[in-house]
Formats: sequence, structure tokens, C-alpha cells
Amino acid sequence: MGKVFVFDFAKCTGCRNCQLACKDEHVDNDWAPYAAPQPDTGQFWGRIEEKVRGQVPKVRVSYAWRACQHCGNAPCMAAATAAGAPDAVYRRDDGLVIVDPVAARGCEVLAEACPYGVIFYNEELGLPQKCTGCAHLVDEGLPPHCVDVCPHEALRFGDEEDFAAEIAQAEFWMAERAEADEPRVYYLNKPRRFLGGVVVDLEADEVIVGAKVTLEDVRTGAVQAALTDEFGDFWFEQIPASEYRVYFEADGYLTRMLEATTENEDRNMGPVALYATA
Amino acid sequence: MGSSVTGTSIIKGLGFNSFGIGANACTVDIDEENDKILRIRPFHFDEHYTPEELNYWKIEARGHTFEPGLKTYISPLSLSYKKRVYSKNRIPCPLKRVDWDPDGERNPQNRGKSAYERISWDEATSIIAREIKRMHDTYGPEAILCEVDGHGETKVVHAAHGSITRLLDECGGYTLQSRNSDSWEGWYWGAKHIWGMDPLGQTSFQNNIIKDISENGDAVLFWGCDVETTPLGWGGYMASRICAWFTEIGVKQIHIAPDVNYTNAVHADKWIPVLPNTDAALQLAIAYTWIKEGTYDQAYLDTHAVGFDNFKYYVMGGEDGVPKTPKWAEAICGVPSYTIKALARYWARHAVSIAHCNGGSFIRSCFSHEPARLEVALLGMQGLGKPGANQFKMLEWTLFGIPTVTPLPPSTCIPNIGAAYLGFITGTKPSFIPKTMIPQAILNPPVQWYGHIAAGLPREDQFTGPFTFPVEGKSRIHMVWSDTPCWETCWNGGFKMQDALRHDSIEFVVIQHPWMENDCNFADIIIPSNTKFETEDIGTDNDSGQWTVVFYEKQAIKARMDSKSDVEGVAEIARALEKFGGVYENLHERFMGGKSFDEWIKAGFETCGIPEGAMTYEEFKEKQYYPFPTLENWEDMPAGLIGFHDDPEGNPLRTPSGKLEYYSTTLAQMFPDDKERGPIPRWVHVSDEHEERTNTERGRTYPFLLVSNHPHFRVHAQHDDVTWLREIETCKVVGPDGYRYEPIWVNPIDAGKLGLETGDIAKLYNERGGVLGGVIVSERIMPGALYQDHGSRVDSIVMGEGGLDRGGANNLIAPSATTSKNAAGEVTSGFLVNIEKVDVFALAEQYPEAFSRDYDPDCGLVATARMVEGA
Repeated sequence: MGKVFVFDFAKCTGCRNCQLACKDEHVDNDWAPYAAPQPDTGQFWGRIEEKVRGQVPKVRVSYAWRACQHCGNAPCMAAATAAGAPDAVYRRDDGLVIVDPVAARGCEVLAEACPYGVIFYNEELGLPQKCTGCAHLVDEGLPPHCVDVCPHEALRFGDEEDFAAEIAQAEFWMAERAEADEPRVYYLNKPRRFLGGVVVDLEADEVIVGAKVTLEDVRTGAVQAALTDEFGDFWFEQIPASEYRVYFEADGYLTRMLEATTENEDRNMGPVALYATA
Repeated sequence: MGSSVTGTSIIKGLGFNSFGIGANACTVDIDEENDKILRIRPFHFDEHYTPEELNYWKIEARGHTFEPGLKTYISPLSLSYKKRVYSKNRIPCPLKRVDWDPDGERNPQNRGKSAYERISWDEATSIIAREIKRMHDTYGPEAILCEVDGHGETKVVHAAHGSITRLLDECGGYTLQSRNSDSWEGWYWGAKHIWGMDPLGQTSFQNNIIKDISENGDAVLFWGCDVETTPLGWGGYMASRICAWFTEIGVKQIHIAPDVNYTNAVHADKWIPVLPNTDAALQLAIAYTWIKEGTYDQAYLDTHAVGFDNFKYYVMGGEDGVPKTPKWAEAICGVPSYTIKALARYWARHAVSIAHCNGGSFIRSCFSHEPARLEVALLGMQGLGKPGANQFKMLEWTLFGIPTVTPLPPSTCIPNIGAAYLGFITGTKPSFIPKTMIPQAILNPPVQWYGHIAAGLPREDQFTGPFTFPVEGKSRIHMVWSDTPCWETCWNGGFKMQDALRHDSIEFVVIQHPWMENDCNFADIIIPSNTKFETEDIGTDNDSGQWTVVFYEKQAIKARMDSKSDVEGVAEIARALEKFGGVYENLHERFMGGKSFDEWIKAGFETCGIPEGAMTYEEFKEKQYYPFPTLENWEDMPAGLIGFHDDPEGNPLRTPSGKLEYYSTTLAQMFPDDKERGPIPRWVHVSDEHEERTNTERGRTYPFLLVSNHPHFRVHAQHDDVTWLREIETCKVVGPDGYRYEPIWVNPIDAGKLGLETGDIAKLYNERGGVLGGVIVSERIMPGALYQDHGSRVDSIVMGEGGLDRGGANNLIAPSATTSKNAAGEVTSGFLVNIEKVDVFALAEQYPEAFSRDYDPDCGLVATARMVEGA
């Protein structure tokens, strides 16, 4: 049990309040014994990562919150012990992992040891630094500053047991490391890929409403279907990065198949023209 | 007193509303012992009041519940405000231009170029006083142009704007730079003529529209509307939460704009890309489709509109032989005709409302009155005011104190602290100049226009005039006094303004401001204002969408460096003027109205609307705020324009006929020869003043249309120096020379043709000059359009018309001509440019002086860049 963070991709609007709150809280403020001041720029104990997805006119932007994962089995703690500085990093009773601003002095190896790249070496202070979960505020019964300023409750913080439902369906930043590190930041609605387009009859100069679009994942054979909406648009959401065959069927039109890939990015197939049978 | 961690909590309104209208309530934790700001965080309505006392509201629809919450949804601009207070860009002390000698050579041609030296407050105020006296004696008060509008800090007794005019009102007057209806240009100049709707031109009837859409709406069109950016300076993220709510309950959000703005990026269900300032063609084709397919509400028009037949005749091609078909529109606006038809049919079948946030090409391009009118024309064709079919706004929810412009449940009172306000209140003066015409008025007087151009006047005012500057027998401009030094980077044709500020006729330029930026660099004397953290004040926040609130703003820290508040600084000038006697006698006392700042704050408290007996002034200062509860029975207020919809005779519009005027008889009578704004809304291709279309001769030379939106990480020109914002990858583009350039979005197709890559530094240009920017190749902008936000700080390489700017302040190359001949609005987006890659190192060799100024990549331009060493 203890404190955890939950981040919901579906709710984040990329406002950067969390990133700025981290600066507001920690730049020029010394929160001993948990943290020395964060440098004004260039280092981000908490930050937002932005990704533009798709192609005109099917474009979206996804944002991800990146910060210390407060791992249950933290690689930085192991690295500190290995470097002969076992007091440099410790875990509080509530699970927050703290790089001690005194004991960790000069311990540059911590920054290198973090697989998530969220420990920064402050050259000026000679100190590795990272998110403390605003432990100084938590001690006062307050939420971390980043959580307090999120306008959509996309970033939440609290007791593990209160988030049982979220944790049950959550994923991790780096799935492949989760088992080893036991991270305590849980991600909801992690984006996969989307594939979309518009089905048109160019001769009639009309979109085709209600056309059946079938998506076949060439690798897995998985199939799903959707109908075009009132704009002739079709959308497949949260599909795997893969190679697809896409079948287009509509009454009075020749069926058409096109290949499409979402291997490297989300895909707008653009206008897909169907041709009348007669 | 809090702990050393939590500090002492005070309240500040951290917006940029100005005009004594508060915004953006935040709690600020300060460390009193160390004279320091600890943190900025949301303000909690429930610190001293229970949800029951607030009459907590909820909207319930489709099995879901929308709630206001109990703390403010603060904006990143509020959250990063501390960095403005401690910015390296702060003006440290009064300054004088080194080669400006009031008793000798004034060297106006060197403004913008020569450096500044430190002088004392006494020296500064005595020079300013002498110059005012000299102007009065030599030319008369009209020779002094006062620039006192725009979006400064939200201060009340220490007003950011207009302490200047308060002073000059006491001793002779001045020429006023009019406060344009800049946020609402197209609606103001256009929409008013079809549906009345004073004072903005946007709808004045928004009560319960969010509830109405939640219950009855199918879709909302966001026509260039960006709720994730535009409200941030005068509101928070309640509007963003409304979008999330629409998603939750399945209200479709359709974005129509050239760019994927920050709202489209995360909330949109569909994006229809349209080329900048071609919306009118798209709108006409929608009307055409409805007329052709008989899918508009003729019965409604029969009882609610006049002149529809004239409009219909034009749309179908009767007037000019050109039917406004979807194919016709496609060639102009870039939307495939099949999509135009699909949109028209969707709209005809569903309850559709339109959301706006001001700004963008839709409303700030040439002829913007046409798309604004056409939007209302379309709403009318589908039974405007029926359930789920209105226009509404995602910001400014109590503008001008109007109780009917909030679409969310309103509070019992819109508190007004006007009694404490020591700044300029929107209005007019005998000698005035539209803000859009300042450069011409300085360079080539006389100039002429219609209307008083003061935002907030009724439709009829547009027919007053023509007005002329200079007023007959009065002086042209010889002195400029500004507390709003961002004309170059916020208005239409900034390069021309640079010429005006360096003109021989301008003998003295004095500027007061906290930060060394933009027009400051053209001053002869600069006096340093401080920020609101350094003063005690009173504030309101009426636009959170939650509850209106009045608060006491305790001083957070001591005044930094050698700064004073705007009012304190001008009070010193009042004292300096007193020695001349006569009209200046007892000026300080008159200027301060015989009250201390605390007495002014108290006057504001006593008259703001807090019920008598609710709390004493001492209790107010102790509790620090008073919230007004939600209006009882708010649910019963008629939604939007349902009153007009159900009974147009009983609830007429403010048009001459009381109905929707598809043909405006007033425009026809007053301006019979107006080809740009005729009696019915039309597609206007070009005019004598504007040739901003790609399919023209100019369009071959400058083949792209520029989208210039309200920026995400600034309020106009404010916040460009905030280190925490500038380091966000998408806020600036780091050039190979380490300079952080203002981003230009280029679609991959155009980038491919032009050989541009992300990270390249390029020049946006037309015959008016060029501005640099850092390329981001992005799918967030459609081909044929380029995107660069407005408001980046000017960093001149070559000044004046045909000049070059490093900062990316693209208003410098916007057209000087106004919206149209008889509409003196601004044109600051949707104009033609070309783009080409530049070699910044070659430019640095060519312009060593401009490229070697003091510069801090984190903060950008710094105050020392313009000061002599050791100043």
C-alpha cells in the first residue's frame, strides 16, 4: 500500500500545467530534507511529451506525463547501493522514492541508472535530482502541486487502495520493464493507432454514407468492421500497429480492397473512391 | 500564518483583462519573512463558504453530471506568472535614450536603434512634465497621443492602463488612441447588421446554452475557436472542461479552420480544413445546398427575417451570374465539394450550435464582416434559437457586466469594482484616432473614418462621421505617451508603425511598462512600472464559469528594483507638473482624488455589490474574498434565443426591423457604394485596399495564406519572456545560432516542395517586409496555409516598411488597411506571404549589430540589450 500516481491519456489536454507547477514548486525553493532547488530550465522532474498523430484532415495530438515512476524496485536504489552510497536514495513509508539531497551529492551514476531518464544531474549543485512526489506537501496533507493544477483530473495522486479499479486496467510507461521495476505510476487509455478515411463517389461528387468498411489485420487475421458516418468518414480507434487490408462495400458499388499500414504512424487513408456497379 | 512549506496564502487575479475587470483568481503562497513568492495555485471557493452557501450548481443530462468544482481551473499563464515578476526583461530603473536631448538634438530617426542610460525618477518626471507643458503651450493638448488600452496586467487601484489619461483629463486633454473592437472585429462590423446584438456583434443571449446543448444539441461547430488558448488570459480551463463534457455525453465537436488548434487536437470529432479567410465561400455553398435541396426553414424566415429573397437571389447566382455552388466554393476554400454538401446536410438534420473564442483568421482578416454575417445567416436558415441551435462563447462570460452573456449558471451578482479603478474606461474623446490608423495619422494626416471605434458602442455608431484627425484647427501628433507598448506586434502593419514612431514630427515618446519590449525600444524616456505582486489591490473574477467573486489582493513582495506602479509613477509626474501652476495647480491631489490607495480599495469594496451587512471591510481583508452564490432557479431562465424563436414580435432583435436582416436597409442607405460591405453578405474577392487572395497577381508572388492565432503560451505580446514556457519544444524553435525562433508550421506537402525541414530558420515575407521563424513541418496545418502565432517580441534587424524582424512578430507584415473602407477594424490574419529558408549566419554577418545584442536563450531579449553598459 502507499501513494501512487494515475495518468489518463484520454483526459490530458496538453496544457502543461503539471510541468509548470513542478517548476513553480521547485525552482528557487528549497524543500529540504526532500529536495534542493530545481534548475530554472533544461531539467524536468515532471514533463509533458507531445505527439502529433495522423495526416490532414485526420489529425490528433496525444500528450503523456513523464516523471519518476517511484518504482517499488527502483533501479536508482540498486545503483546507489552498488556505488557505495546506500543512503543516497530511499523509499518513504508511503512509497515515494526520494533522492536524498545531502547523501546523494556527487552521485552522478543515479542519473545514468534510471531507465526512464527522469533523474537529472544538477551540475551546479553536484546533485542528482528528480520528482519527490512533492513529499513536503504530502506531509502537510496536500496533493503534489502538479496534481493540484490539472484541470481535468488527468493526473491524480493518492492511496493505492483508492485507485484499485484504475490500477486493474492500467498499463505502464515501459511495459517491458514493469515486472522488474514495479513502477507506481499507472497509465490509462494509452494510445495505440487509429486508421480512418472518407469513402466517396467521385463521379456523383458525394460522400458515401453507411458504407461498410472492414479492417483485416494481416498479421493476426483479426477482423473488425465499421460503417461510414454522415460525413462518409470511417474510424478505427485503438488498433495495433500493423499491416492491414481494408475492404469497402456499399450497395450499388463495386467492392474495393486497399492495403494500409499503421506500422510507424497513425493513418488517414484519405478519400477512398468507390465506383458504381452499373 | 502558514507553515514554512505552505507559506501565507493570499489571493491575486492573474489574468490580463485590464480595464479594472478582474480575472483568473489564484491563491498565491508567499514567504513573508524572506519577501518571496513560494507558489501559485488554484483559488478555493470553499475556504470560508460551504457548497450550500454557494448554491452549488450541477447540469444533469443523458445520465451524466457536469459540475463546476470548488477550485479555479488556473491557466498556465497564471501558473508561470512568477517568472514575469523576476524576468531578466524587467526594466530596472527610469531610462533615457542616450542621443535624445530635450534641449538640443532629438534624433527621432534613431529610435529603435540607440541605447538607454539610467536616470533618476526625479529627472525622468521633471523631463516628462516639461515636455507635457511644452506640448500644451506650443501645440495644444491634442498633440499628445495617449495609448492606454489593450491587455495589461489585471490591476485596479494601480491600473495598468489609463493613469496617463486620468492625469491629462485634469489638465487639458489629449488625443485618444481608440480602443478598437479588436477581439470581435468581424462580428462588430458585420454580424450586428444582420442581428443587432450590441455591443459585441456576437450573441448577447447565452443564458443556459450549455444546459440546452447538453439536453438538446447534436453538434457544436468550432469555427476557428480555440478554447485551449484564447481564454487563458481572462479565464481558465472551464471552457476546456465543457468540451470534455460534450465528449462525455456525445455532443459532436466539429472544427472548421486551416489549423489543428489546441482544442481541435484533443477534443474534436471531426476537422474540416478551410483556407484562411475563405470561410465566406464555404458558408455560401452551405446556403446554396440548403436552398437547392429545400432543407432550410422557410417558415421560420417568413416570420423572423427580412430580405431573405435578396440573399437567396445572390446565392443562386441571380445577381452576378455565379451560383455559389459547392464546386465554386471548393476552388476557393479548399474544402471538397462532397464534404461541403455532407456538412450542409448534417447541419440541416441536426441541432447545431456554433462556439467562438474570438481570434484567428475567421474574424481578423480583411472583409471579416462577411463570414461573421454569413454565420448568422446560416443559423437563421436553420431556425436560430430553437433547442440546441444557438451561437455561444467560450470566454468573456460577464463582459461589460451583461448578465445574459454567460452560457453557464450565473451568480446572483456581477460585482463591479469600478469605484476603485484608477485607469481608463472605454469611451471616447473629441480628438481620437482608431487604433488601426495610428501610423497613417502620424505620417500622413489628415485621416478619416466612420464611427467612434470604441468597443462597446451600439450598431448605430458605425454610421456616425466621417470623423477626421486632426480635428479642425487642432494639432497633429507630436508626442506619444504609452502604457501599452505593443502596437508593433499586436496590430496591423507594425513596420509602418516603426516608421511613424521615428518620424520627424514626433518630438517625444514616453513609455511606462514593467518589461523592456516592443515599442519600449522607440521611447525617449522609459519609466519602470511594477507588477501586481508588488502592490496591494482589490480584484474580481467573474469569468471562471463557477461563481463570481470579489477579493482583497494583499501585496506579495516589495517593489522590485527601482519600480513604481503605473499610478504611483504618474502621480510623481503630477507632482512635477504642479510647479508650473495654473491648470497644473494641486494636480497630484486631483489625480489621486483625495484618497489613499487603501481608501480606494475600501471604496471598491463598499460599492461592488456585496450585500450590505454581509461583512465589514476588516472582515473582507481577513477572509480575503466574498463569493456570490448561484442564482436561485437558474434552470428556469430561457435558453439562448428561444424567446426570439418562439415569439419574434414579443422579443425583437436590435435591428431596425427587429428581425434578422439578410438585407440591411441601413447599410444600403448609409453606404450605397460600399463594394466590400454591401447590404447583403457576399463573397468579396478583392478590393481597392486588399488583394489577399491566392488566385490573384499578388497571390502568385506570395502564394501562402498566413494563420496568425492568439498564441498558446502568451497573451498577445505578454509572457514571451517566461523561461518555463520558452523551453517547451513547441513554444520556440532553437536555431543553429542558439536563438529561439517563433515557430512556423508548414504542411509536409509544402515543406517538400520548398525543401524545408523542421528546425530550419525561414523568412515569412511580402512587400511589407519579412519576419523570421523556426520551421515545424506538421500535419497540424493544411497545405497552402502557413501558421505562426502573433505576439512574439519584436527584435528588429531592419526597421520600417520593407524591414526584417528576427523575433517573428508577424503583425509587422500585416496589411495597414482596415477591415474594409467603412469598417476601421484590424486585419492581422489570413493575409498573403511567401516563405523561404534563410542562413542565419549569413544574416548575422550582414547585420552584425542586430545579431550581437544581449540575448539569453532562456528568457530571450533582456533589458540590458537596450541599455548602455553599466547603466
